[in-house]
Amino acid sequence: MSGATPVFELPDELAIDTDVARRVIAGFIRGQLDQAGFERAVLGLSGGIDSALVAYLVAEAIGPANLLCVLMPYRTSSPASRTDAETVVTDLGCASELVDISPIVDGYFEAAAGEAGREASALRRGNFMARARMAVLYDRSVSWRGLVVGTGNKTESLIGYTTIFGDNACAFNPIGDLYKSQVRQLALAIGVPEAIVRKAPSADLWPGQTDELEGGFSYPLLDRLLFWRVDKRRSTEELAELGFDPALVERVDRLVAGAEFKRQVPPIAKLGPRTAGVDYLYPRRRPGSSAR
Amino acid sequence: MTVRIALAQIAPKLGDLDANLARHHALLDEARADGAGLVVFPELGLTGYLLQDLAAEVSMRLDDPRLARLAAATTGLSAVVSFVEESIDHRLFIAAALLEDGEIRHVHRKLFLPTYGLFDERRFFAAGDSLRAVPSRLGVGVGLAVCEDFWHLTVPQILALDGAQILINVSSSPGRDLAATNEVGLGTATSWRLLMRTYAQLTTSFVVFCNRVGVDESISFWGGSEVIAPTGAPVFSAPFYDEGLFSVDIAPADIRRERIGLPLLRDERPELQLRELGRIVQERAGLAEDATDPGGAA
Repeated sequence: MSGATPVFELPDELAIDTDVARRVIAGFIRGQLDQAGFERAVLGLSGGIDSALVAYLVAEAIGPANLLCVLMPYRTSSPASRTDAETVVTDLGCASELVDISPIVDGYFEAAAGEAGREASALRRGNFMARARMAVLYDRSVSWRGLVVGTGNKTESLIGYTTIFGDNACAFNPIGDLYKSQVRQLALAIGVPEAIVRKAPSADLWPGQTDELEGGFSYPLLDRLLFWRVDKRRSTEELAELGFDPALVERVDRLVAGAEFKRQVPPIAKLGPRTAGVDYLYPRRRPGSSAR
Repeated sequence: MTVRIALAQIAPKLGDLDANLARHHALLDEARADGAGLVVFPELGLTGYLLQDLAAEVSMRLDDPRLARLAAATTGLSAVVSFVEESIDHRLFIAAALLEDGEIRHVHRKLFLPTYGLFDERRFFAAGDSLRAVPSRLGVGVGLAVCEDFWHLTVPQILALDGAQILINVSSSPGRDLAATNEVGLGTATSWRLLMRTYAQLTTSFVVFCNRVGVDESISFWGGSEVIAPTGAPVFSAPFYDEGLFSVDIAPADIRRERIGLPLLRDERPELQLRELGRIVQERAGLAEDATDPGGAA
C-alpha cells in the first residue's frame, strides 16, 4: 500500500535477516531448555512488544502448549496493556495466568516499609514491581516446570533502562542482542499484532509514561548511535562526522558506562585457589548439570 | 572414479565424550553403508567447543583406547575426527586426526588459536607448530586444518605445496552478524564462503569444510558445510543450522584437469617466499635493518 504510514522506522544499518534470526533464536531456545533438562518455559507478558515477541519466538521454538505467559498487572497498569497481552495469549493459544501484584507491592510499601515506604519514589516503586514480577515468575518456574525466559532488549540493557534482579532476571534471553528497532522488525515478521508493534514503548509504571518521553530520545536514533558506538567501535569524532549530536553521544556514553554493573555477575572477593567466574570457568551446562 | 564424501554436520554434546563417541561410531556405520570413502566430523566433534576448564577433563592421549576403537571403525574408510589431545608433557591441543583403515594416520594440532572477540582459545589450549600434508588411501594427498587455521593464507598454501589435493577444514564457527545486507543472511557464512572458494581456486584443490551446528551457551554454530571444486565452484552446500550427514560425490580427476589447465602451483615460487620471509623475520626480530621503515633507516 503506497502512502501508508510505515509501522515503524527501521534504520538501514540495523535491518537484519529475520528468517536467519528466527532460525538461530529457535535453536537457541531449544538448546537452552534441552541442556538444562526442561521442556517448558515461562515468561512475564506485559502487553508490550518485547515480551510479546519473546512469546511468539518461544511458541515457534517449542510449541505454545509448552509456554506459560504470566500477566502481572499492578493496579495503575494500563488496561490497554492487559488487553494487548490477552490478544497475544489468544493468538498463540498458550497457557496464561493473571497475578495481580498490587497486594504484594502495596503490602510492602504501606505496611512493611512504614512511613518512609508510603512516601516511596516512583523509582523505588517501579523497581519493587519489577522484582515482585521476577519473584512470581521464579515461583511459577517451579510449579510449571519451565525456565524463565528473559524479555529485555539490547537497547535498554546498554543504557541501563532495567531493574537489576528484576526484569533482567532470567534463565536465558533470546532477544538481548537485538536493538529495539530490530525487535520491531522481527516482531512484525513473526506476526506480533501490528497494534502492539505500533504503540509507543512504555514501562507502564504510571499513566502516560513512555520510554522515549522519559529518556528524551527516539529509539531509531538511540539504536543507531549505540550500533555505531558499541558494535562498530566508532570514536566520538567519527560519531560527530556521522551526524550524531556530541551532547547526546556524551549522555548515552555515561548511561552505558553507568549500567555496566547491571550486565555482569557480581564480583566475588578473590580469596581461595579457584574462584567462580575468575579461574574456575565452566560452561553452565555440562554432563551432570541437567535437571533430567 | 568418484569419491563419496560424507559431511557429519552434527551438534556435539558439550563435555560428553561418551555420547559423542557413540554418535561418531553410529555415523561412521551409516556413512559406510551409504558408500562413503571419506567421513568428516567438525572441530571438537568429540567434545563440544566451549569447554573452558572442562578441556582437561575430556582430553585424550593419542594412545587412548577410545581413539583406538574409533580408528578401528574406519576399515575401508578415511575419517577426520576432532578432539582435545593431551601430549605426554600435558599440553592440551585442539586436534584433528585422519583415521584410515584402523589406524591414526595423521594428527594436525590447531595452529592458530583465536583469542579475541568472542574467542578465548589461548587461555585453555596450546598451539600446534607443524603443518604437513599426508598421503591418503583416497589416492591423493590430504591436508588438515582446524577452523581459524583457514584465516591465515599460509595454511592452504603450504598444505597445497606439500602435496595436498584435498584441503579439509573442520570448524566450530559461531554464526554472527545478521545484517540484511549479507549475501546469505549471515556475515560469518559470507566470509567463509568467499575464502573457501578463493583457496580452492588458488590452490587448485578440493576444499572440504565441515562446520558444526547446535548451541554452546550464548553461541549458535551455523553449519553450512561445503565442498568446493578446484575451479572454485561449489559442489555442495549443506543447509545452515540443520543437523545431518550429507553425501557429496567428487571426481579427483578434476584436480588434474584444473592443474594442467591452470598451473598455479607449478608456477609458485616457494624459494622466493622463503627468502623474503627470512628477511622479514630478521627485520622483525631487530636483527636486520628494515629497509621499508623510514624511521629505522635513519
